[in-house]
Amino acid sequence: MAAETQQKRSYTQFLLPAFIGLALVYFVVLAKGAIFPFVLSAALAYIISPVITYFEVRGIKRTFAVAGLYIGAGALVFIVLYLLFHFLSFDLESLQQSWPQYAERLQTYVTNLNTKLVKNYPILAKIGLEQKLTHLLEAAPQFILGLIPALSLLFIVPFITFFMLIGGTSIIDYLLDHIPSRHAELILHIASRIDGSLGNYLRGILTEAFIIFLIAFTGLLVFDLNYASVIAILIGISSLVPYLGAIVGAVVSSIVAYLQFESIVPIFKILLFFVGIRFFDDWFLQPYIMKKAVALNPAIILLALMAGGEIAGIWGVLFSIPVTCIIKEILNIAVELQETEFRWKPKPEPTRISIPYT
Amino acid sequence: MKLFSLFHRLYDEEILAKLTFLKGISLFDGIKKRHLIHVLESLQERTYLKGETIFTQGDIGRALFIVFSGKIALARLDQTTQKSEVIAEVNQGEFFGEMALLEEMPRTATAYAMEDTKVFMLFKIKLESLLFARPTLGVNIAAQLAKILSARLRAMIEKPAETR
Repeated sequence: MAAETQQKRSYTQFLLPAFIGLALVYFVVLAKGAIFPFVLSAALAYIISPVITYFEVRGIKRTFAVAGLYIGAGALVFIVLYLLFHFLSFDLESLQQSWPQYAERLQTYVTNLNTKLVKNYPILAKIGLEQKLTHLLEAAPQFILGLIPALSLLFIVPFITFFMLIGGTSIIDYLLDHIPSRHAELILHIASRIDGSLGNYLRGILTEAFIIFLIAFTGLLVFDLNYASVIAILIGISSLVPYLGAIVGAVVSSIVAYLQFESIVPIFKILLFFVGIRFFDDWFLQPYIMKKAVALNPAIILLALMAGGEIAGIWGVLFSIPVTCIIKEILNIAVELQETEFRWKPKPEPTRISIPYT
Repeated sequence: MKLFSLFHRLYDEEILAKLTFLKGISLFDGIKKRHLIHVLESLQERTYLKGETIFTQGDIGRALFIVFSGKIALARLDQTTQKSEVIAEVNQGEFFGEMALLEEMPRTATAYAMEDTKVFMLFKIKLESLLFARPTLGVNIAAQLAKILSARLRAMIEKPAETR
């Protein structure tokens, strides 16, 4: 009887957490749209929290550290954004004006190429290269301009992040203090493992993307290429995927250079420049920046990006790499726990030394 | 005077107290206070209420525990008599579970809080990244750890056989 009551009690203790969990999931499903900026803000707060901790452990109160960071970073971001928008809006405007002209030239080029190819290889007619390009050329400017409303998040997200940073880790600390004490060590071990690899990966990859963006922007300005800022941003974003940044940069810049200069020499120079960026990234940036991060195979990254896109569109792509990092670390930990806690492997023998302590 | 009060408002006294506390821990002997900041960054805080178990004998160890306030008891189960006996009490400023920093082996005793206790945990993975990012600091801690282990071993050998 006593055992039965004990068992009943052990089941009922999970009722409240399960109910709260379900209610939370239901709320997330209902308010999906409203929650999204908060998810982005939490991610941003996670990325910049080490900066706050840096000041906090040096004795600066958290509120002042956050306020100081916002004032400093705000001023810096304002100047950078002002300059960038100055270039970007000018570039976008001129791109919008000259796009039909460029599109026409590209289309003529592809039509001629297609005619020649179809003449020699009739099987290629089935692919319909020309129609595909026409569709792509029509859709491209709308796609770029369609991204602009997403910029409103640039104002909402830092605002929410500010309050998350001020609040600090109080919610996490509360939860940590209330998890069963017996499992606290294991749970904190898992959390610090995930935090270590995910944090290092995210900070590493963002730093890498920013440095590549800066180099590409400066280089393209030196080459006097049109739309340098648009291309540099594209390179920065695409360099989040290994190898893609330099390839995208080389292809897009070569097309723009061909349309602008109508000569092969600048294309050759630009291609050389991107080969240089690729090697710089491989030999200097990655070994230095990513040395502590979890290693992800480029094939896995591509799979993650495609799956993310399939599941949740552009935002799925954005979150696919961090989520993959977490999954990889959880799998690693799970295997280790199976080996240590559930004895999949024989119990490790402690190091034994025959010579006594002298 | 105004500047002084502004500094006071900006400065977190709690951090200063924690750094002063860490300075007194033998594991961090020889480390300058300004370098202890990096150690503090790597530590995880948690409060255990009176009677709560921190770990039990046989659990895989993953962290070292430093008692910031309160008291911890370490008890060992005698395999022959199946009786648990308190083998040590860990007071404020002392630490236990350092074996976990060297090898992920089962704990040799059970630890529980004798009163509400605040501890700092140093996980093996954090010590490893500290060794990697700040080798001088890491080597200092590793050397101290070796000295402490040696001292504990010596104390055990010098103890009369019947009390072991």
